[in-house]
Amino acid sequence: MALTDSQYEGYQEKEHEQDLDNDSDIISSTPIVQVKQVFKSFGYNSNSSSSRSRSGSKPSHEVLSGVDITINRGEFITIVGPSGCGKSTLLNIIAGLDKPDSGDVSARANDGLSTVRGIMIFQEGALFPWLSVQENVEFGLKIANIPKHERTKIASRYIELVGLTKFSRYFVHQLSGGMKQRVAIARALAMEPEILLMDEPFAALDVHTREMLYEELVGIHKTTNKTILFVTHNINEALLLGDRVLVMSAALRNIRKEFAIDLARPRDLESPELYELKRQILVELEGDLQQVASRR
Amino acid sequence: MLAEDDHRQDSIQAGRTDTQHGRSIDTNDAANIVLFLAAFLGLWQLVVALHILPDTLFPSPASTAASIGKLVANGSLVIGILTTLWRLVAGFAISIVIGGAVGLAMVKFRAFGKTMSSFAVGLLTFPSIAWVPFSILLIGFNDFGILFVVVMASVFSVMISTYSAIRNVPPIYFLAARNMNAKGMALFRHVMIPAATPSLIVGIRQAWSFAWHALIGAEMLITTLYGLGHILSVGREFIDMNQIVAVMITIFCIGLLFDRIIFLRMEEKVRTKWGLNQHSGE
Ligand SMILES: Nc1ncnc2c1ncn2[C@@H]1O[C@H](COP(=O)(O)OP(=O)(O)OP(=O)(O)O)[C@@H](O)[C@H]1O
Ligand SMILES: [Mg+2]
Repeated sequence: MALTDSQYEGYQEKEHEQDLDNDSDIISSTPIVQVKQVFKSFGYNSNSSSSRSRSGSKPSHEVLSGVDITINRGEFITIVGPSGCGKSTLLNIIAGLDKPDSGDVSARANDGLSTVRGIMIFQEGALFPWLSVQENVEFGLKIANIPKHERTKIASRYIELVGLTKFSRYFVHQLSGGMKQRVAIARALAMEPEILLMDEPFAALDVHTREMLYEELVGIHKTTNKTILFVTHNINEALLLGDRVLVMSAALRNIRKEFAIDLARPRDLESPELYELKRQILVELEGDLQQVASRR
Repeated sequence: MLAEDDHRQDSIQAGRTDTQHGRSIDTNDAANIVLFLAAFLGLWQLVVALHILPDTLFPSPASTAASIGKLVANGSLVIGILTTLWRLVAGFAISIVIGGAVGLAMVKFRAFGKTMSSFAVGLLTFPSIAWVPFSILLIGFNDFGILFVVVMASVFSVMISTYSAIRNVPPIYFLAARNMNAKGMALFRHVMIPAATPSLIVGIRQAWSFAWHALIGAEMLITTLYGLGHILSVGREFIDMNQIVAVMITIFCIGLLFDRIIFLRMEEKVRTKWGLNQHSGE
């Protein structure tokens, strides 16, 4: 399988790390999501006029070409890749918000509430401005017809988890960017999904806020043992957070390579391991860029 | 919002943010209005006192007030107001129901939406008074004839604003909601409608003013026995300028009342909640 190949290529110390991390391997040996041979194109059938003009004479514009990913329960996966390479598309397909042209996504999540495969946290702007913080977090519970007092309780618990109890009556426009993303996280957690899908959730935040949220997210991952799929532009972010970093390629329209990181969090970007990984990822991205350029 | 307690929460929240601005604006407004009215009446009286215009054709504030008193006493003004308001509410309600339903259908069926929207935009600029002869011949000199004109004047505005308000809702709200299992009716009630509300209110306010203009016009031309427009044309026939001005003032006040008290309030409330008021003069 392609996955194991790239694991060995990417990380020479793998064997050694495996010994240290035995128990987490037991948890993660059960796949929770399997993406199999997913293909996706946008073309004339899609209603977006931008894709039409971009694809020119070609009938359609292929974004994903035979993507295979196996995600194990409790894993924190980060995906990096150039802009426009199809990361959001992949996440939408995994969430069930979009359908692949062919291939399939199977999930073995036994989500209490949802028939969806995971709850998305978007870059920004996905909170409902007509609802307060409390009501935003309660939204999915209300849709699931959970009685008022119960959903208040559940929502309050998650609002507390992200430290916004004092602001539960605020409306979205009264919050800072970081607070908004915390609300989005609380809203996702309130659905009690097994999988969190995060599409560049911290991209619009300043460095300081971002670092605080890394810490919180790592804490949430540790305590709730959620499976997290985290898309980002930021290599440092991918290295600090992921158990595995998937590098996505615009040229291949697929996962180009993956790197396993068996280091405890919080991690130090200055550490030789991460430094080396970062170098390797940059080489991959650079290679991808050249491959795309040479096709033109 | 669904449950009662949600409502309560809303009003508490909105109240908290509203009151500080709300009150100061209200007192200021009241003072300004009184001042303006005094100036207006003073100027009016001045023009009358200078006898610039013939007395019979230019009524004084006092004679106009007397005329209002007379119209109130013989009941015609009250009946006129009630009749006109009934027509307004009924016509506008029909417009909202039909315009809203067609607007939704336009969103749902894209091809229909495209054709219908250019058609409706054309009718939006069509002078509503031009429907009158058509309505008289088709329906006759009765309430329904008037209602027809009112509906034609406002229904396309409701239609277009429903259509564009919903189409302009950022798709990310739908994505997020669908991801939380909202579909069908729940998506419609809890996402589509609230997300479209700020621009929907603007459109509905405009539709209301179209309906109001058309109604008075139609009442003047499609003669029935009641209504403010009717009293206005009776005033013209009897060359009773006092009565004409009295009714004009009534019409002005009703328009102002609806627009300020109902629509502006609604708009302000929504805008405050959404935080759309941040940069307006506060
Ligand atoms: N609805 C759509 N219709 C047509 N084309 C689309 C649609 N959504 C995405 N695309 C195209 O698919 C490609 C991948 O888009 P996607 O949003 O998945 O990229 P991304 O990797 O998330 O980029 P970014 O990092 O900038 O968010 C882009 O070229 C985009 O133009
Ligand atoms: Mg994206």
